Amino acid sequence: MPAFDYAGLALPIPEALREAHRRAWQGLARPGAWWTGAERVAIAAEVRAARACGLCRERKAALSPHAVAGEHAATPSLPAPAVEAAHRIASDPGRLTRAWYEKLGAAGLSDAHYVELVGVVVTVVNLDALHRALGAEPEPLPEPLPGAAARERPPVVEGGAWVPWLAPDSAEARALFEGRSRVPNVARALSLVPGEVRQLKELSEAHYLRIADVIDPRARLAALSRPQMELIAGRVSALNECFY
Amino acid sequence: MSGELEGASYDLHAVTSGTAVAPSGVPHERELVALAEAVVRGEAAELARAREAALAALGAESFVAAAAVAANFERMVRIADATGIPLDAPLDAISAGMRAELGIDRFGSAANTPRVTGPRRALGRALSPLARFLMPALAALSRRTARASRPPGR
Repeated sequence: MPAFDYAGLALPIPEALREAHRRAWQGLARPGAWWTGAERVAIAAEVRAARACGLCRERKAALSPHAVAGEHAATPSLPAPAVEAAHRIASDPGRLTRAWYEKLGAAGLSDAHYVELVGVVVTVVNLDALHRALGAEPEPLPEPLPGAAARERPPVVEGGAWVPWLAPDSAEARALFEGRSRVPNVARALSLVPGEVRQLKELSEAHYLRIADVIDPRARLAALSRPQMELIAGRVSALNECFY
Repeated sequence: MSGELEGASYDLHAVTSGTAVAPSGVPHERELVALAEAVVRGEAAELARAREAALAALGAESFVAAAAVAANFERMVRIADATGIPLDAPLDAISAGMRAELGIDRFGSAANTPRVTGPRRALGRALSPLARFLMPALAALSRRTARASRPPGR
């Protein structure tokens, strides 16, 4: 049975969505720029573990997440800062702070490792959220593929985010963003690891709109009006207390 | 506080308060917002109710699209909040008044965007009614620069 076949659902799941999910899962299993395939799949497993993690639940309920100490319910295959990052981004994204991010760095998680981890976390969150919405079981995590991480760092600049991003005038940025004059910060955010931006672009196009078309209020899906799309998007963002 | 899209005006308070408190005027708003809320909270019983209601109101194709949009933004908010990106200019200035009125400025991640100062705030107020023309124009310009930078033959 191929992955993401949605066999038990009597719903018209577009083939483009299935294909995007399959490619995302294949990408998840492959060695990345800074993590091996096994480590990427372990990060994905932590995203799912966060849903049942007692510490995450206590922190989410607390007035301040920093007031609650303890250990995450986690497998021992990842360094502690990576586990903390995966669990917090998955379970309580609206209360992440620059100080929290810098603490992870001081504990040994490099900016590049962090950015790639964010890319893995959000891919799993995205696909699992869709499965929950559709009433489908979560897709089993893929078997990791062997190989080493590429460890290639592109030319980057500080752009006002916590993490550096691709230098806008670099050949890498021109290729990644197709020479566009306007690239939203949310598309630049993961560009320290260009592969994660490619993943973002593909999933965005399959679930919502091409990243490049988001600022055009005339862009829409065939099955929903743009006001309907933005009502859903805005409500999800507000419940997550996302300012962006 | 209202916003215009596709030639109609909608109340934006539904985004922060939910449609029970502030109807937006968007068709099928109740089912769409209930689905969005259920996806974020992740409770099985709430999800089942929201799914059934959205399917009945929207039909299968639109329900799947709505679920995909909700899931997409579960991803996007985490990218934004985990990387600490600021809001893009000139949207930060144009949306300053709206953000204050809707209470979005109180979100923790607002700290990632520098405060819009007086002159830019005034410029944002002036540009705000033009946003529906400005944004498609910026999108078109961006498409043109992408086409122009494409290697010949592609």
